[in-house]
This record gives sequence, C-alpha cells and structure tokens, in this order.
Amino acid sequence: MSAVIEVKNVSRSFKSVKKEEGMKGAFGLLVKPQIQVHDAVKNVSFALEPGSFTGLIGANGAGKTTLLKMLAGLIPPSEGEARVLGYEPFKRTHDFRRKIALVMGQKAQLWWDLPAIDAFDLIRAIYEIPTATYKERLNELANLLDVSKHLNTQIRRLSLGERMKMELIGAILHWPSVIFLDEPTIGLDVLAAHKLREFLRVFNQREKATIILTSHNMDDIERLCSRVLIMRAGKLIYDGKPAGLTQAGARQLRVRLVQTPSAEELATATQLPASAIEIEEGPEGESSKVIRFSVKQDQIVPLLQALMAKFQIVDMGIEGESLEKVIQNLYEEDKAVL
Amino acid sequence: MNVGSIPLLRELRWPKFQWRIAALKNGFQDATAYRVEFLLEIAGSAFVPAAIQSVLWYAMFKIGGATTVAGMTYPEMLHYTFMSILFTQIRGGDLDFELSEMVRSGQLSNYLVRPVGVVEFVWIRGIAPKALIAGLCLFIGIGFELYLGVSPFRIVGAMFLALLGNIIHYQISAALAATAFLWEEAYSMLMVKNMLVNFLSGELFPLNMIPERWAWVWKSTPFYLYVYGPTQFALGRWSTAEYFHQLLFAAAWLVVGWLLIRITWGLGIKRYLSLGG
Repeated sequence: MSAVIEVKNVSRSFKSVKKEEGMKGAFGLLVKPQIQVHDAVKNVSFALEPGSFTGLIGANGAGKTTLLKMLAGLIPPSEGEARVLGYEPFKRTHDFRRKIALVMGQKAQLWWDLPAIDAFDLIRAIYEIPTATYKERLNELANLLDVSKHLNTQIRRLSLGERMKMELIGAILHWPSVIFLDEPTIGLDVLAAHKLREFLRVFNQREKATIILTSHNMDDIERLCSRVLIMRAGKLIYDGKPAGLTQAGARQLRVRLVQTPSAEELATATQLPASAIEIEEGPEGESSKVIRFSVKQDQIVPLLQALMAKFQIVDMGIEGESLEKVIQNLYEEDKAVL
Repeated sequence: MNVGSIPLLRELRWPKFQWRIAALKNGFQDATAYRVEFLLEIAGSAFVPAAIQSVLWYAMFKIGGATTVAGMTYPEMLHYTFMSILFTQIRGGDLDFELSEMVRSGQLSNYLVRPVGVVEFVWIRGIAPKALIAGLCLFIGIGFELYLGVSPFRIVGAMFLALLGNIIHYQISAALAATAFLWEEAYSMLMVKNMLVNFLSGELFPLNMIPERWAWVWKSTPFYLYVYGPTQFALGRWSTAEYFHQLLFAAAWLVVGWLLIRITWGLGIKRYLSLGG
C-alpha cells in the first residue's frame, strides 16, 4: 500500500529576536536586535499508510505542532520534503485543502458570536457539499458527539467540551481523507474526552481517514493509535506500536516495607537511579508507604535480593510498565536534552 | 473544454458564488448578532462627524460672517455634510486590523486550511453589514436628491463609486496589513493610513477647501473616491463625463490594488510563522 503521508528529512527552524531583561534590553532591541535561530524540527522522516491512526507525542516544544503545521501546509519546511496525499502541502492547492482538516485544540475556528449551525452552513458552501449530504452528515456527527441540542446556541455560550466538539464537526464536515488533530482533548473533562475519543475511533474505522493526533493524554494514544511517533527536541526518537514502548521487558516492582527509607537510601541500597524510584502513600490505616521501582524483567531478582538484605518486605507485586510512565520518563530525559 | 482548467471560468461557476453568498450571509449574521451595538455604531459614526462639521460651518458662516468658503455657501456646505455622511458609512472599516491581528496571532491558520482566498473571504464577511447600510443610505439619498431637485439616478451612480471605493480601500489596507508577516508593529502603520484616509477622503471637509497648489496631494491618492467623489456627483457638482472619467481612475486603482495584494500576500505568506497552538 502506498503511503498517504511521506516525510523525508524534514527540518524547520525559526528566527526570533532575543530581548534582554529590563530597559537595557528594550534599548538594545531598538538599536541592535539580536536574532536567534531555533531548530524546531530536525531531520524527521516517516511514512504513514492510508487509514492509519497515529499518535504524535513529545514534551512541550518537542516540535509536534510545527510538524503538523508543515503537513497541513501552513508553513514550509526549511529543508527536506513532505507529501500529503501526493500533494506538496505548502503549495496549498484548493484540491489539497479540500481533502485535509486541521483541528487545533487551542485555536477556535468557529465564530464566537454565532451559533454553530450558521458556521456549518458556511462550511457547507465552501466545500460545495450537497444539501442532503450535509444534513445527513451533520445529523450523524451531532448525534455521535451528543451536541444536537446545542447547534443553535451561540458558540461563546457553550462549555469548553461542547465547543471542542463543534470545532471537530466544523473541521470534518467535508469528510477529509487526512485529519490533523492537535491536542483535541485539551481541557476536556473525562466524559467529554471519552466521547470525543470514541467518535474519532468510529470515524477512523468507518471512513478510513488517516489521522495524526498530538496529545499529552496517554489515554488518547493508548486507546486510539496503532502507531506512535515520539519527538524529542525536534528529533523523531521512536516510531512504532505503542505496545513496543512497554513490551521491552519494562516492569514495575511494587513493594511495601516495614521501614520508611528515603528515595536516596533506596537508590543507594539498590544501585538504581532515583528517577526509577517512586514513593507513594500506603493504603489507608497503614503506616508503610508504597514504593515502585521501574526496572527490566531481569533486574527484579537482584533488586529483591538487595532490598531484603537491608529492609523487611511487607507486601510486593509485579506490574507491567504503563505507557504513561514510559512517556513521563522520556519527557524527563527531554528536559536533560533541552 | 474543461471549464475547471481556466481560473476565471472556474471562479464564475455557480458553486463558487455559493460560498461567497454564504460568507456574506455569515458576515451579516455576525455583525448583527448584537442589534443595539450594530445600530449604535452606525448612529455614532454618522453623528460625530455631522456634529463637528455643523459646528465648524456655523462658526465660519454665521459667526465669522463668511458668505462662501471654497466657492460653497452655507446651505451647500450643509448639503455636502449630509451627503458625505451617507458615503462615509460605506467606506471600509477596520478589516486591515483584523487581518494583521490574524497574521500576528496565528489565527490566519484557520483560514489557510480552507479552500478559499483568505483576503477575499475577510472582505466579503466585512462588506455584508455595509451592503445593508448602503441600501439604507441609498434610500435616504434618493429622498434627499428629490428634496434638492437633483436626479435620483445620480445617487445610484455615486453609491456605485462609493462601493468601488470600499474595495480599493480594502485592497490598500490588506496590502498594508501584509506587513504584519515581517513586522509585528504593523498596527501603528495602519493607524497612520486611517488618519490620512480621514483627511483625504473628504469625510471631514470638502477637498476643494485644500488650496489649489496642494490639490495634487489628494488627487494622487484614491482616497477621494471614497467620499468626496461620490458626494460631488450626487450633489450634481460633477458632470456625467467627469463621473465616467473618475470611474476609469477607480478601475485603474482596482487593478493596482489587486496586484498589490497578490505581491504582498504572495511574499508575506512565505514568512508566515503560524504562531500559537
């Protein structure tokens, strides 16, 4: 199957003016502005199959949104080449724009003072959607997202979750082949996020639309994406299945001890880095704390031996490493890189 | 022959008009979402210049004792004021500020992913309330023409010129707004442009009050086509030949404006950063 999105050695850098602190900085800006170059995306390559649902994750500033913007044709790459549905995105031909959708969780596309139904009518005309098809789609999308009764309400009077759902409807009324979603569940409550996720899953499966989703919510990634791209400081550091991140023998050893040692004492006793040790409050009524060690499968026995040599174990268990934890670790490594 | 392969014919297809009509409707709905605010804005923009001019003419003619100013008597001056206010309502608004803010904040991205031209889209949404006001002004203008004994056809022609002025004004404004792609302080430049337009469009006073040796200043800009020109024609002070001569000027400015937008936005969009989000 040929790729619907192809990215080859794409890089993107931005220039910005650096302002020093205080009045001196303000004068400096007037007289001799200092230009700094920031590499937001560095030599990224990947290809996506039609109908795939891909998660693009990384810490803030990792380059995810910049990559999406390049793929949606908003900004050109500084180097390299990107193709979406065979089009060069930045040429932004009308045909290309008819086939894609971009939803940015932090940018409203609908008009604040108008009810969503008025904005949708304009979108219908822009994409030349036949009226019968439009009504059918709107009805279906509004039902799936449970917002039918809010279609005639001014956007500004809707809750954040309802607004986001309307944004999504407005973005995909034209049934795009490729959808770029930038943090669509940001700020949503558990129920609204669940509805939105469920909707995306159904839409992807039924319409075979190719979807790229950026999110900091690991639930989004775990439940929806068959593939994950992880970016760190502009570079693509992982491209594979979400399970691939957690199946490489990563485990969590959970123990409760009679003693209450500090993280440093535990790190010294087990020879593990402090970042691999987490201490939580124990069950109610119990004075002992729950300690979690993030380790590989083959580290468990030596770890237990080291613990038993120094402490008394009350309770223990072995759990698989959660995706959330893996990503958290990656983000922490990010900070070190940045 | 495939019609879709020829850009102009492609734009003339009915579906291409559909989105423009829908955008017009949408812009009108947006502008009138708050009816009181909408009406007060119109009343305010008409009342303030009318009051200032009336006081000024009263001072010059009744207190200062002048009989004519720039060849115009007191009643003629008042007629100018009344008629010019109708055309001032048609002249472009602050869409350039909206465009530059969209560039600056990254909100432009929302429009760039849609298969429509963003500059035209913003204009159509902005002209929607103006179209309603133009109809209302036309109606008032016809009544005023009948009172003055001037052919009401003149107000129709004048309104057409004012609408061309609106387009020219937007074209120039949009081209200036494109500086926001490389310069974050485009806002102040747009303010300067607005001050020049206020002065040179004829909405504050008849431009023939400017001494003849300085007349080249206002004649070399298209701003006089927004208010002064339409008012002169509506009041019968321009001949039909002069009117058509000015229509040719307007057409030339339209072409210049179109080119300006193509160049500035063509260059600017390459520097767009799509900030935020």
